Amino acid sequence: MKIVGHEPVINLTFVSRRPIFLRALPIDRGWFSYKERNKSMKKIFNIRLLAVLLAMSMVAAACGGDDGSSETTAAGSTETTEAGTTDTTAAPVDDVTLSVLIHSQEPMTSFVQTFSRNFEESHPGVTVDVSVVSADDLATVTQTRLSANDIDVIDMFGFANPVQPYMGGATPPAWQTLIDAGLLLDITDEPWVANYDEPSIEQAGSFDGRVYSVNLGRTVYGGMFVNNDLLAEVGVDIPTTWSELVSVCEAVKAAGNECMTTGGADGWPVFVGAYGLLGSLYPDQAGLVEGLYTGTVKWDDESTLELWSRYQTYAQDMLESGVTGLGHDAATFRYAAGDVAFLPTGAWQAPNLEGEADFDWTYVPFPGSDNAADNQYLFGKYDQGWSIAANSPNVELAKEYVGAFSDPANYQAFVDETGFIPTQPTATLETTLGQAINPLLENYRVGYEQFWLDPAGAGQWANGGQGASWFQPFNEWDDPVALAMQAQADLQAALDALS
Amino acid sequence: MAVEVVKKNYLFGGGWKSWTPVFLLLPGFGLYLLIAFGPSLATAGYSLTDATGVRGAPVNWIGFDNYDEFLFRGLASRDNIAALNRTLIFSFLVTTVQFSLGLGLALLLNQRLKGRTFFRTLFFLPVILGVVIQGLMWKLFLLPNGGPVSEVFGLFGIQSEFLGGQPSEAFLWVIVVQIWANVGITMVIFLAGMQTIDEDLYEAARIDGAGGWNLFRNITWPQLTPAINTNFLLNIIGSLQAWQLFLVLIGYKNGTQVLGYEIFAQGFGQTGGVSAAFRQGFAAAASIVLFVLVLVLGLSANWFVNRREKKYLG
Repeated sequence: MKIVGHEPVINLTFVSRRPIFLRALPIDRGWFSYKERNKSMKKIFNIRLLAVLLAMSMVAAACGGDDGSSETTAAGSTETTEAGTTDTTAAPVDDVTLSVLIHSQEPMTSFVQTFSRNFEESHPGVTVDVSVVSADDLATVTQTRLSANDIDVIDMFGFANPVQPYMGGATPPAWQTLIDAGLLLDITDEPWVANYDEPSIEQAGSFDGRVYSVNLGRTVYGGMFVNNDLLAEVGVDIPTTWSELVSVCEAVKAAGNECMTTGGADGWPVFVGAYGLLGSLYPDQAGLVEGLYTGTVKWDDESTLELWSRYQTYAQDMLESGVTGLGHDAATFRYAAGDVAFLPTGAWQAPNLEGEADFDWTYVPFPGSDNAADNQYLFGKYDQGWSIAANSPNVELAKEYVGAFSDPANYQAFVDETGFIPTQPTATLETTLGQAINPLLENYRVGYEQFWLDPAGAGQWANGGQGASWFQPFNEWDDPVALAMQAQADLQAALDALS
Repeated sequence: MAVEVVKKNYLFGGGWKSWTPVFLLLPGFGLYLLIAFGPSLATAGYSLTDATGVRGAPVNWIGFDNYDEFLFRGLASRDNIAALNRTLIFSFLVTTVQFSLGLGLALLLNQRLKGRTFFRTLFFLPVILGVVIQGLMWKLFLLPNGGPVSEVFGLFGIQSEFLGGQPSEAFLWVIVVQIWANVGITMVIFLAGMQTIDEDLYEAARIDGAGGWNLFRNITWPQLTPAINTNFLLNIIGSLQAWQLFLVLIGYKNGTQVLGYEIFAQGFGQTGGVSAAFRQGFAAAASIVLFVLVLVLGLSANWFVNRREKKYLG
């Protein structure tokens, strides 16, 4: 039967291509009859209603039921679930979950998880939910979870770079915004704060005279790992000046080995590997940043041009080819293979190297200057620290957790495991790395990265501390003078806009 | 008479029942206001502040300062305009190549070929993978030392640093991955369009002596108008907003950012520094710039496809 006044909407040709669940709908020689159409519409409506209800229930299931462990990594979840289950059985009424956020960096991650398990055992009814995120995501997750009151203890990474008076309109760093917003707890009067040395509290935990974080360790990034066995095999000594480094690299390569490797695929290891070079030419790193802001130092000064030239040598001649595809951790394992003389990177890779390398190695400052006295400094930064969420419902338990972690015995265990340079005066670093750098620690200095902030309006080449990673093959530049001038122009334009 | 009855009672009936569709649409409209229009309006408001997105942090009204910084201040404005240009280049290349490739594949796989279902599935497969999976797969393919693409290039004496090398090269590889990841959906839309073309038209034309090119030019192409328009708009808008592959494949690297990535990086402190600030007000201003770009190009494209539709379909 044909409906007068209606155009056919579905014909048999189309029906044959319809999804199988629609083929069950009634069709009268290719046309819907009116009654059948109504029936069909009802069926379709019912199917869609069911689909909508199903989708809504899935959304509800996905959004609801967050017991605090849903955002953790696999390792963290398992840990929490197991411990939580035990505690629930033991004391369901007193159950409290303490949420801890850390960034992923072995062996630190494993240590925190083990410590948390022990904390649970000594605090019946307490479950410690350790969330592990990548270092890149830590700031974002910290901000969102603090804003949502969904976290108690935070691994505060990068508590540095406060806006200096000479920086004009520079945007404050993320941690400063968190303090301004009242999201971090003032821990000045906590007794365990005194376990840490004064410089670390002052330089990596305080703002406006109040303490908001205890720092768990210094780390060094201005040096390089040295394969002693390889150098001995080639018949050269550890270089102490730039010229010696150039010669040693030539000798190592002539012997069929590689001079240096790095995690070029991640970008940052390339310029972090050259921070020692920057430091040996400008040992006063805070002064360098102030000078760049105030105009007493320029990226294209005649004296600074040497820096750019050495950046180029480092990027193009010293680093082995193909590192653009190598990640940071992979570079350490590559180095552990034994045919690369130097690994210019942070000392935080020492624990990985201890487990992998079967050759004799040490860690020395990067010899970036031709004056050996300028190459004696170990530049670095304060690594992670603990902060407590001001709005945490478990503030007292959070203090107890950080307090327990700060206990000298626990802290020593942490240092032993992670190889961090201690920030507690009673702790010592007795690893291979410790033996290498303990004699140099009196020359430890906070590095450039912890002072620099981009002024608003700065171009992408303004932060010359990253200059080593802008040369080919990592980026487009091949002329150090042109790049130096571009870096200064990018900085100057922003400084001019400020004034 | 029968016609009258049918018209009045069609689906929902007359009287107050005729309002039923409006009531049924209300929840959807409410949801749209809540999750699409509302945030868009809030973004416009945010763009005039120095908001950080941190709860409790002060939010100050700074007028058009973010726009001024984005478009005119220092040499950062040069980089922002470069990101804008890069977005347009990315969109142009992705749209044209993906469109052409999708059409070619659809034409090929609309033939009665052996194994065509397998190939249709194969070309569509990347569409169902997430961006992270797509990115990680291609990072492995494009390893400069020992990756499969590097090995193939090596046979021809070509060396490349791929994603870790010069910005222009890395940028081109992201375009390749973007096209690979999305050409399947373009192909499927074209295939669906081709299957609605009446076979009689081809038969009649063949009887009149039309060859392959004439069949395509005079039947397939005009009859595909709705599919062409859909693909054209989807490709343009999708590529203007694409940035996730840049994040996964390259990260924040000078000379490669597109506007979408710049917005994310500024808003969530991902601009490379250890203490990079959350500049959500600034990111909102950049979002509005991107919105205007999408709007202008989207409306222009829409005008073009409407005109084309009238020309071919009346």
